[in-house]
Formats: sequence, structure tokens, C-alpha cells
Amino acid sequence: MAEVATREFVPASQAAVRDEQLRQALRRAGSGFDGTRREAIAEVTEDVWEDWRQQARSIKEHTIAHLDYYLAMLERNVRAAGGQAHFARDAAQANAIVSEIARQQGVRTVTKSKSMVSEELGLNHVLEEQGIDVFETDLGEYIIQLAEETPSHLVAPALHKTRGQVAQLFAEQLGVPYSEDIEEMARIARVALRQKFLEADMGISGANFLVAETGSLVIITNEGNGRLCTSAPRIHVGLAGMEKVIPSLQDLAVFLRLLPRSATGQRITSYMSMVTGPRRADDEDGPEEFHLVIVDNGRSRLLQDPALRESLYCIRCGACLNVCPIYQRVGGHAYGWVYPGPIGSIVTPGLVGVAQAKDLPNASTLCGACRDACPVQINIPRMLLHLRRQQAESDDTNQRTVSDTDKALAQGFATVMSSPWLLRLGRLVGRALTAPLARSGKIRQTRLPLVSRWTRARDLPVPAGRSFRDRWRDELSKGGN
Amino acid sequence: MSMVNIGIPTAEFLASVREALGRADEPPASPYAPLQDDLAALTERAETVRERVARELPDLSRRLSETAALRGWNVARCGGVEEALDYVVSLAKQLGATSVARSEQAVFESVPIDAALAGVGAMCWPVVYHGPDCREAVRRRLAESGMGITGADYAIAETGSVIVLPRQGLSRLVSVVPPVHVAIVRPQDILDTLDDLFALRRLEFHQNAARGNGDMGSYLNFITGPSRTADIEQTIVVGVHGPREVHMVLLDEE
Repeated sequence: MAEVATREFVPASQAAVRDEQLRQALRRAGSGFDGTRREAIAEVTEDVWEDWRQQARSIKEHTIAHLDYYLAMLERNVRAAGGQAHFARDAAQANAIVSEIARQQGVRTVTKSKSMVSEELGLNHVLEEQGIDVFETDLGEYIIQLAEETPSHLVAPALHKTRGQVAQLFAEQLGVPYSEDIEEMARIARVALRQKFLEADMGISGANFLVAETGSLVIITNEGNGRLCTSAPRIHVGLAGMEKVIPSLQDLAVFLRLLPRSATGQRITSYMSMVTGPRRADDEDGPEEFHLVIVDNGRSRLLQDPALRESLYCIRCGACLNVCPIYQRVGGHAYGWVYPGPIGSIVTPGLVGVAQAKDLPNASTLCGACRDACPVQINIPRMLLHLRRQQAESDDTNQRTVSDTDKALAQGFATVMSSPWLLRLGRLVGRALTAPLARSGKIRQTRLPLVSRWTRARDLPVPAGRSFRDRWRDELSKGGN
Repeated sequence: MSMVNIGIPTAEFLASVREALGRADEPPASPYAPLQDDLAALTERAETVRERVARELPDLSRRLSETAALRGWNVARCGGVEEALDYVVSLAKQLGATSVARSEQAVFESVPIDAALAGVGAMCWPVVYHGPDCREAVRRRLAESGMGITGADYAIAETGSVIVLPRQGLSRLVSVVPPVHVAIVRPQDILDTLDDLFALRRLEFHQNAARGNGDMGSYLNFITGPSRTADIEQTIVVGVHGPREVHMVLLDEE
């Protein structure tokens, strides 16, 4: 499995907000993706969009509730089409399956189209240890493979890099002249990878959807690398999380409408490829073998908890990242694992274990922008709160993020807030104590005892002179009704 | 064929999923509507699609050309075969293409492209493989071709897409390896929506399954505009691993 650095969220995010190049990259990408997404929605009208979201939601609800049934159907139909479906409990099993196929087939070169599951498994390293050359072919993935980094966004893996950084990387790693011309950089990648496509023995792809009815794997791409990876080598291996299955080919239409619009604001991507088994005997070309590796790797933990189950409806469009005020400031790497942003803060604790990732559910303002942007209406804030509550109530100190002091403070807060006279008293006392420390009504970054964790990163307002209740009463009496 | 038995057995995996769901081993209590369709229902739906498309063809053809243009196709609406041939020939001239790859599809019986291109010194050749030995030779030749021409199995007005179903005579690579792709779309290829397409594909799948041959082909490919990327600073560049330029030759009648 890929290295897990989720425990480092706090220091990593503190470093990220001071990285000016990263801030620039995030500002450009966030507003860009979200702007085109909004335009694409306006074009079809809000009403139609809501109707599509509802359809997609219903399909996912039904499928995930009967996941065993549809996985069985999928497996049967992959087999009927001449392919093989393999099931893997965890990353080690999934990697072993792909390694063994490669070993039996004497594979020396692998070309890959983008797969987040492969990132999750850490598959490249496993194959490389076996002496196999592995080439990422999506431009963003190619860049981060050369840089020996991990993706920082679900659909734009190299979003954190500026053109200058990519130019520097290409000059160092590929020995080409330094050029910040983006068209030239794309050409360099094309030339470097063209021969690899044609000589690779194995192509590995992810899967955006798996169709149970026909046993098909669907990938949605823009560059054409996905088409080459699934067409040119003699073996095709598809990797997919088990939640990717949908029942019928008919269901695909609505997802083809939702996914590109949510991801990049495109009405449709350049390519959609649907693979059903290996090449048939009289086909001109295509792989001789088709393997589908279906991965659990912790997903059944999310499935098991009815409160977290809907996180498996995610179609990995990245829209929630593009609207998240936290992601937009800290970027993807701070989250410490493969899936960043709001949905990652639920999926990651599920897949790597809550104890490993206890900061992530707290890395949210609960503003709800992610829920509004989600094409499958996933209620992300609700699940983040659920995880926080679990943490607060846990007896296991490894999982708890809340100290006894925090707990006492929260209980005190609840007592005060539920009694009008205690609230009034608290306001008066609080104001008397804090007013001398304040400038323009706020206490800035002072290290107050008990609340220093708050004031370290935020201003603490001084309680107001007149309370809302007082003002409300006055307004009512003034209005005379 | 690789024989790999490293993962866990299907039954065991499914049992663990079932356990997580707290379900018994049984199909959904309320069956999923689309999967209840029998051949008669699928046939009826497909016929409805065909009738509607035939009725609305002039409008669909116009919408297809508009949407396709928005998605990055160069659209050429051609009144007849001669006009289409002229378009392709002048394109080849303009590109300076001496080798033009094409599929072996029915459309080229009515659109005699080889002879037309030969007239301007471009060699048009069908991408067909004769045994494994020629695989490398065909690929090398394909990599050197300046243009690839195919028909369309379908074209969708809603999305501006051309759909190809690679099979005998239609290589997967001919529309992706050369830097320019030309798709010839006939009126009978045009559909309105994604739903229309999947209704027709499902019928074909289940018809074949009923004949004991559950097959609708190994590959289906949507092509909508040129190959593109925005992976560096969200700046769009066309022609990464696939064609930088795509042309839709829309025949008004065959």
C-alpha cells in the first residue's frame, strides 16, 4: 500500500500555506475548474442538473445496497466475455495478482493510464522491484512519476506544479532544453512515450465505471493515452475499487453527463472507452488477455457503517476539492495520502484506519460547499461530523482527538448555552476579562490559557456589549408588534 | 492465458461484502427496472429510437454538426460523395500526407477514397493484419501515416461524438495513432442522445446473448474532438497522445 503520512496533517498544512507557488497554483486551478463547472451546469439549467444528480444518486444507492449481487453479475459477465475478474481483499493481494500475471507473461514494460486505485496500492513500486519498467502516460501522472511525488488532486495530479517547475524537471530528467512553453512540454511527453506505448507488453488502466450487465470496464479520458494503454499491449489489466460497479449500460448515460461537467466543466471528454473482455478472434488488434482486479482494501469498513456508506457513491470527480476552503489553501499533499479534500477526509480514515488519520475529519469548516457541488449529492459534512463524534466518544486514546480539557470546555459551553442567565453572566464576565487584551474588538494571536489552540491561528472576538437577545427584544418593542 | 489464483475466491469475497451489508444471499427485493427488460421490451425501445431518429434526421444532422464544432471537430457537411472526396483530398494535400491509413469498412465502398487520394500522390492503405508477424510492420506504417480515416458506427447529436466499434476491418489504432483523424458520418449513423445509443447497444448485447453468444464486441470508443490535456497550469493543449486535429465529414446522403 502507498505510504501513509496522514498523521502529519497539521505540520504539513502549516508548511503548505506558506508555500507561495502552491498557493498560486491552487488559486488558479480552483477558480478555473469551479468556474467552468458552474457554466456547464447553467447551460443545461439547474433543474435538469438536479434531476441528473437525483438519478445518479438513486443508481448508486441501489447498487451499493446490493453490492454483492452486482459484483457477482459483473464477474459472470467478465468471464462470459473471455476475461478474468480477480478479487483482492487488500493492497498486498491486489499487487500480488498483477505481479503474478506479469511474471507468467514475461512482462518487461508496462504503460499505465491514470488510476487512483493503483496509487492507493503503491503498485508501481511493486512492479519495479520485479525489474519491470513502468511508465505513467497521463501527462500529469508522468510529471509526478518523474518527480517521484504523489498526485495532489483526483483529476489533475500535477496541479501543484507550476510550468517552471515542470520545465526544470523535464530538463533534468529527460535531458531536453529548458522550455516553459506548455505546448512544447506536451510534445516532449508525447515523443518520450510514443514508443513505449507500442512496445509495452502490459497496459494498466483504472476504471471510472464497471457495468455489471455486460461485464464492461469504462474509462473516461482526454489525452488518448487510455486508448493506447487498452489497445496496443498484449495484456490489459484494469484496476477498480469494488464500489465502481453500476447495474446496466443504460445507467452509464447519466454518469457520462455528470462526471466530465463536475470534474473539469467539460460537456464530455475527448474519449470514453468501454472494454468488454479481450480482443475477439477476428478483431484486428487489442489485448489477448483482459484481467479485472476488483479491490476492497478497507472499503467494506465504509460499507459496514450505515452512516459512512454513502462515501462509496463517490465518482472521483474532484468537484468537492475545487470548492473546499481548506483544500484550496493546503493542497492535496498535506492530507498525507492518495485521496485528498473533503471526500478524502472520509475515505482515507476508512481505508487506512481512523487512528492513522484522526486530524482529517477535523480539517473542514463544515461550510457545506462540497455537498452542494457533489454530483451524487453525498452529504460530506454530515459524515465528517459523524467521524468527529466517534472520535470524541471513543475510549481508545489512539482515536481520540479530544483532550479531557477540551471535553470539559465543551461541556461547560453546552451548560452555559442552555441557560439564559448563565449565558448573560458568562458574557459579562468574559467581556470584563478579555476587553483589556483586545484591539478593535478582537484578541489577536495571544496565547491565552485554555484557548491558545484557538487563538494560535484565529482571532478571538470579545463578547459583545449587548447581546442578541437584548437587541431582539428592543427591535420587537420598537416595531410595536 | 495466465492462470492466477492469488486473490481470494469470488464466493468468499462476495460473502464478506454481504456481511458488511448485513444482507442475506438474495437478489434485490425490488428488482432493478432496466435489468427487467426482456428482448421484446428492448426491441420495442430500439424501434422507437430508430423511428424518432428517422423522423427528426434533418434537425439531428444540423444539431450534430453544431455540437461537434463546439467540441473541437472540424465539420464538413457534404452534399454528396464527390464533395466529401474533394474535402479529404484537399486536406491530405494541405497536410502533405503521403501515407493515409484507413479502416476496412462498408462506407469506403460508396466513398472510393483510395483512388481519389492516389490522384494527388497519397497512398491510402487499409489497416488490416494478416497474422501476428505483420503486427510490427503495420504499427510502424501506422506511426508514419499523416492521417487516419474511419467510418462511424454511430454519431450522437447530444454530445457531438463519433462512436466506433473496433472489430474485423476496424483497427483500434487507426483513429488514435496518426496525428489527424477523419471520420465519415452517414445519415443512418446519427442518433440523438446517449440514451439512444445505449438502448441500441443493449438490444444487440441481449440478442447475441439469447443466441448463446453474449457478445457485443470487445471495445466501444467515443471520440469527441481532438486529444487534449490541461495537466500543466490548466492550459489546454491539443494533440497529446492522440490526434491534434479531427474532421467530421457529414454526408447529407449516401
